[in-house]
Amino acid sequence: MNGLWLVAQREIRTRIRTKGFIVSLAITAVLVGAFAFIPKLFGGNDTYDVGVVGTAPAAVEQVKFVTYADEAAARKAVIDGDVEAALIDDQTVLADGEINDRLGLILQSAHRDAQIKQAGLTITPLRVVSVGADAAYEGVRAGLAMLLMMMLFFLLIYSAMFVAMGVVEEKGSRIVEILLTSVRPWQLLGGKIVGLGVLGLINLGVVIAVGLGAAFASGLATDLPPGMAGIVISAVVWFILGYAFFSTLAAAFGSLVSRQEELNGVLTPMTMLMTLTYLVSYLAAAEPTGTPARILSLIPPFSSMVMPVRTAAAEVPLGEIVLAAALMIAAVVVVLLAGARVYERAVLRTGARVKLGEVIR
Amino acid sequence: MLEIDNLRKRYGDKVALDGVSFAVRPGEMFGFVGANGAGKTTTMRIIMGVLEADSGEVRHEGRPVTYEDRRAYGYMPEERGLYQKMKVAEQVEYFGRLHGLTPAAARRTTAELLERLGLVERRGDAVEALSLGNQQRVQLAVALVHDPGVLILDEPFSGLDPLAVDALAEALKDRAASGVPVIFSSHQLELVERLCDSVGIISAGRMVACGSVAELRAGEGRGLLKVVVRGAAPGWAEGLPGEITVDGDRQVLLSADGDDQTILRRAVQAGHVEHFGRQEPTLVEIFREAVA
Repeated sequence: MNGLWLVAQREIRTRIRTKGFIVSLAITAVLVGAFAFIPKLFGGNDTYDVGVVGTAPAAVEQVKFVTYADEAAARKAVIDGDVEAALIDDQTVLADGEINDRLGLILQSAHRDAQIKQAGLTITPLRVVSVGADAAYEGVRAGLAMLLMMMLFFLLIYSAMFVAMGVVEEKGSRIVEILLTSVRPWQLLGGKIVGLGVLGLINLGVVIAVGLGAAFASGLATDLPPGMAGIVISAVVWFILGYAFFSTLAAAFGSLVSRQEELNGVLTPMTMLMTLTYLVSYLAAAEPTGTPARILSLIPPFSSMVMPVRTAAAEVPLGEIVLAAALMIAAVVVVLLAGARVYERAVLRTGARVKLGEVIR
Repeated sequence: MLEIDNLRKRYGDKVALDGVSFAVRPGEMFGFVGANGAGKTTTMRIIMGVLEADSGEVRHEGRPVTYEDRRAYGYMPEERGLYQKMKVAEQVEYFGRLHGLTPAAARRTTAELLERLGLVERRGDAVEALSLGNQQRVQLAVALVHDPGVLILDEPFSGLDPLAVDALAEALKDRAASGVPVIFSSHQLELVERLCDSVGIISAGRMVACGSVAELRAGEGRGLLKVVVRGAAPGWAEGLPGEITVDGDRQVLLSADGDDQTILRRAVQAGHVEHFGRQEPTLVEIFREAVA
């Protein structure tokens, strides 16, 4: 175990200091942070500025009243675009062309409420009750799911690539021959996977922290659905499972070749499987409660992305999550055993590409 | 005593090792020579456990060598391998840690080794920034950092300049003197002859000769008798076994099986004897003979 930990430490220490790691982490953090402010920038106004001449009405939600001396001043402000509209003596609304639909409704209903109140009547507002799934956060959840999907895909493929490149670096330079006289193959392979996995988790952690931090800073957090903690935990756990699966595949395939140039070719089956997983997770983001998403979220390795995306997009019964996790863990164990076997047999056979059939018997 | 007992290895149809056996005593420097593809690297990789033999055994102090034993060995593979982007000292320390040294011990021995190998100024440089010779020294430091109980070096001298060869040779002698069996392969036979207590010659997967340099010479017979005579009349050696070559006013007789006393008397009568003696075969000659 000590050997494994030493190898992992080296991976972390050498990679974390590289410019590539720091720069890519900074860029991702900035992008995710910016993402949290986008709704604020493009999502339209939360409040409308409305000019007032004469008596100002009682406070109205989402409307900020600005007082003007006379109608001429208010008219000018409307035309200049300083205010959206102007309310004259609580009787007339001045607008530049047609009034914004929503603002019109707000002003009209505020006006109606005030008059009804004056007449001494009280009205009870309508109560809205959802009879379907909790649809209140559907939009936000779909956005979250999309974001999560891209993040998971890039992190998974990036981390798995690094594992494969590391394996080929050691095999190609023959350093593996010296390493294997002091550590076991599983320690070397495991250390590499653990070390680069920790870096992947650091990436994921920073992205989540920056994303949530920015969401609170921008006020977007009030729109986040309840159970965000569950969504975050699910993303982390599924990342670990997906990473274990794909990085072991990457290491096993990587150990078949001796040169970085041959890596892309030999990794094709793995990258295709990852891309397929990414594509099917669109289903989960678009229709999280549909049958295809439900089935795919149980089948490894698709579950590694479909399930967290589905969890973000909609409520998922606990039983399905447990079943999906159990199946995925079983798949990870199988891949680890088979991958370690391939790696062990192939990593010392330098030169021409080793055929997979020769090392799996 | 490190014993290599009847190793056999096939790669598909090709026989790489066909019953290789030899033994190296503690403190002995063993030179492993043979043509390319003869089986040196395969043998060394099997000793290090990097490769598995089809049959045969490697024993140290009477017991079959295990993975744990090998962790205490020092190994320099034929194709050098270092992390190109890792710093020199960091790298040597890392390998020390992998071999089970504590952080403090790894740091201390690394510092000592870099000092001895003249790499102190380069300790903070990435390996890729070093010259080939210096990279080779780092490679040696990696093999020595854990104070190995056995040293296996595949072509440690290849690509080194004469000064670096001397430095490396000194380092190896030191290790051997401290009681460590040292096995190294080389194509530089004069070097092997100069450094090694014993020599093994391998050809096509079989040990064709093995023993101390003196033993190998003895095995070659007593060597040719060589006589150089100046100013002798042509035909002075008529009837003597051997071959005459003429070089100006000198005549050289090389004889394999003539009686040396008879030849000496005839030579003295014929002219001025400049040289009379048996030619010791060099390792190169022994090698040619053995693999022929």
